[in-house]
Amino acid sequence: MNGDKVWEIRTFIYQHFAETTCPPHVDEVASRFSLSHDEAVSAYRELHQRHALYLKPNTHEILMANPFSGVPTPFQVHANDRTYFANCAWDALGIPAALHTDAEIEAACAQNGELIRLRVSNRKVQGSEVLVHFLVPFRDWYNDLTYT
Amino acid sequence: MNMQFFRSEEALSEWLGSQDATRGAVLSLSTLWDLSQRWYHNRLSLDYYGRTLEQVQQIFKEIKLTSSFWTM
Repeated sequence: MNGDKVWEIRTFIYQHFAETTCPPHVDEVASRFSLSHDEAVSAYRELHQRHALYLKPNTHEILMANPFSGVPTPFQVHANDRTYFANCAWDALGIPAALHTDAEIEAACAQNGELIRLRVSNRKVQGSEVLVHFLVPFRDWYNDLTYT
Repeated sequence: MNMQFFRSEEALSEWLGSQDATRGAVLSLSTLWDLSQRWYHNRLSLDYYGRTLEQVQQIFKEIKLTSSFWTM
């Protein structure tokens, strides 16, 4: 499969997230692009290798296509009449940035679980006294992205 | 999943102690939003092909994230 096709599949996956909040099943990609199941799985694996998305270990199910999460998380983003799940604090703001839309974000203080509500409106973010902590330095981000 | 929100510096300090972890980088909400827009604005586009290390470093530089935490 040529690189352009793989990148078209990447864009389709992202648009599917945007429209449904969920990743497409690999067979949906196969159908959309007239591929066999194995060819679609191969495309998913290539995108995983390129860090364009991340598969659950030993599967062809999408765990993350940053900023979107393929599984529920404590970072909920309400936008466009849908609720998306983000992978982390950064991605919680990344979703309205990627969708170019306003959003309400619900998350929790990592220390005490206190609810944190943020609002993105007219390309500005509002939230009181909230800090964001990155534990892992950039050089190590891709060693274990789930931990990062 | 260690890019986290904290309600205060005190909450962050308590969390670091409970995790026996070293303080990483702390960003304000406005800086994170700035980073998010630069990082993700074209993520849904067919024209997005990922980034080179140089492009990543340029984004960090533009929002003054220049400490060793943000370099290779």
